[in-house]
Amino acid sequence: MPTARELVVRGTPVQMLQDGSGPPLLFLHGAGGAGRWLAFQERLAKDFSVYFPSHPGHGGSPAAEWIEHISDLAFHYLDLLDRLGLERVHLVGASFGGWIAAEVATMASQRLESLVLIDPVGIRVDGWIYPFLFGMDIPEIVTTIFQNPKAALALAPPDQSVDTLALQYRQGTALARVSWNPYLYNPLLRRRLGRIGAPTLLCWGAHDRLAPLAPCGETWAREILGARLRVFAESGHVPHLEEPDAVAEAIGEFCRLREGIG
Amino acid sequence: MKFYYFHLMPYHMEHDAPSSWVTLSNRHYDPATGHTLYNQYLDQLEQAERLGWDGLCVNEHHQNCYGTMPSPNVMAAMLVRRTTKAKIAILGNGLPLRENPLRIAEEIAMLDVASGGRVISGFVRGISAEYFSTGINPTHSRDRFYEAAELILRAWTEEGPFPFDGRFYRYHYVNPWPRPLQKPHPPVWCPSQGSSETVEWAAKRRFPYLMVFTPIKRIAQIYGEYREACEKNGYKASRYQLTVNVPIVVAENDAKARELARKHVMWVFNVGLRMHPPFWRPPGYMTEASLRRLLTSPPKLPSELEFEEADREGYLIYGSPATVRDKLRVFADELKAGILCSGMTGPSHEQTLEMMQLFAEEVMPHFREDANVDETAGVGR
Repeated sequence: MPTARELVVRGTPVQMLQDGSGPPLLFLHGAGGAGRWLAFQERLAKDFSVYFPSHPGHGGSPAAEWIEHISDLAFHYLDLLDRLGLERVHLVGASFGGWIAAEVATMASQRLESLVLIDPVGIRVDGWIYPFLFGMDIPEIVTTIFQNPKAALALAPPDQSVDTLALQYRQGTALARVSWNPYLYNPLLRRRLGRIGAPTLLCWGAHDRLAPLAPCGETWAREILGARLRVFAESGHVPHLEEPDAVAEAIGEFCRLREGIG
Repeated sequence: MKFYYFHLMPYHMEHDAPSSWVTLSNRHYDPATGHTLYNQYLDQLEQAERLGWDGLCVNEHHQNCYGTMPSPNVMAAMLVRRTTKAKIAILGNGLPLRENPLRIAEEIAMLDVASGGRVISGFVRGISAEYFSTGINPTHSRDRFYEAAELILRAWTEEGPFPFDGRFYRYHYVNPWPRPLQKPHPPVWCPSQGSSETVEWAAKRRFPYLMVFTPIKRIAQIYGEYREACEKNGYKASRYQLTVNVPIVVAENDAKARELARKHVMWVFNVGLRMHPPFWRPPGYMTEASLRRLLTSPPKLPSELEFEEADREGYLIYGSPATVRDKLRVFADELKAGILCSGMTGPSHEQTLEMMQLFAEEVMPHFREDANVDETAGVGR
């Protein structure tokens, strides 16, 4: 079981789950993933010291008014690394968290042992417009995100209480503040991907309908020099929820190679 | 009591789509039908002035069959030249929806000058769905609203040019020509659905508060909050700061009025306001406090409202002239609303005109103690 920690990062309170031993790994969650320590994290914690903070406004981390742009979140995580005294980490981000991780990597690749992006959003892809999740009801969202809808149950809210609904609204608000328009991308990011010097693994669900392998995954693979692309045949947009063991194993293998301990 | 004729300019139609807003395909809009409708609706507004209405209301909504007036200023411009006495209340403009709100300062000033100072300028945030239609970030809605309002009010009242450096809007030269005719500026109204933040904001500035399509109990509650907020700001609310919008159907007897109301008014709620649920609640449009209040006693979705309940809860007024008079007494005497902004809907253009005439002859004269009062004096600025 992970330990829950409360810490303050340059004035911003953060709730973080932490467990495991080994080289440090920072995991940045996607929308709706805050505080969900599931099979994927459990598996990673066998090989790594996993740090799993909730983004401000998500899960147990209160909203931070100063966060207005995706780069604010990227700087927030560089501050978090400083706060934790971690000089270099393996950085893993899924979906929205992958976007933040990519922003971090364009700013400070030297802080990263490796970079793993799981179906990231965040760049404008020629010939693709991300389906507008904010305009969808829950069944539509599940269909768009999951190849295996049963995997969605892991993210289902515990109840429909006012507190739960208010938390969901707060999370949606924190997400919308940085991603409503332009929707799910930073127009400046794509060109900057060329700056990423860290060894990069792209994990992609073969059936991602939010950011499909073609053209999205292929574009990322082209833009990040030397990136490796692994496709997960049974997954939609969230392979770490749909095939947690396979994704965690691929990450472990890739990172061990970097560490020279494999 | 003052009477303002309110028009939505709906595109009446039946459909099975999940939403009458944002995604209802505009292939359903027939421009030839639209031509007839626009002209009938404008005729009704012009006729309202002749029948004695004190004001005419236009409003702003986007991408729906509920109200086909994406630009209220365009409709106001048409009315300005076809009317002579009536106030023209523009119950847009959706300030946050504009990239350049200085344009609102300019357009309202144009209308005010051309009309000889008859314009009332509504400041609204736009309802939730507009944020899906315009792409504006709903989490910025409130801050953009306050900032745009400040910019427009300064543009109307301060000598230009001056620079403006906001979070969302930045100008080196704010210097709109023309300036408005009314001094210090056209009255500002705040049509809203009762968020406590807007109530406070409006009360502080003496901006009249307009409740749109709200059950009567809730109107009473919000009026109470507004009056209290006015007192906190050191003054007593004028009755002309309390404005209500409730659909009215009047016919020669109650039974006939009831039938018409059931058929035509309920369309507004059941079809016109049918909305895909996510469009009701874009992230960050409401404060968390407002959301919690809403979730604690969730109102019924308009599309699920049944006539009996709408009737019971006071969403609408219908009846013979005598019945309508009695029901309006509640608004005039108990709620002490000073202005009634209501439109009428009959089964046809001609029958709507007849209904208007019946109302003007049999209802309106009973509420005219204040015939010689200027409802805009000292209010809204």
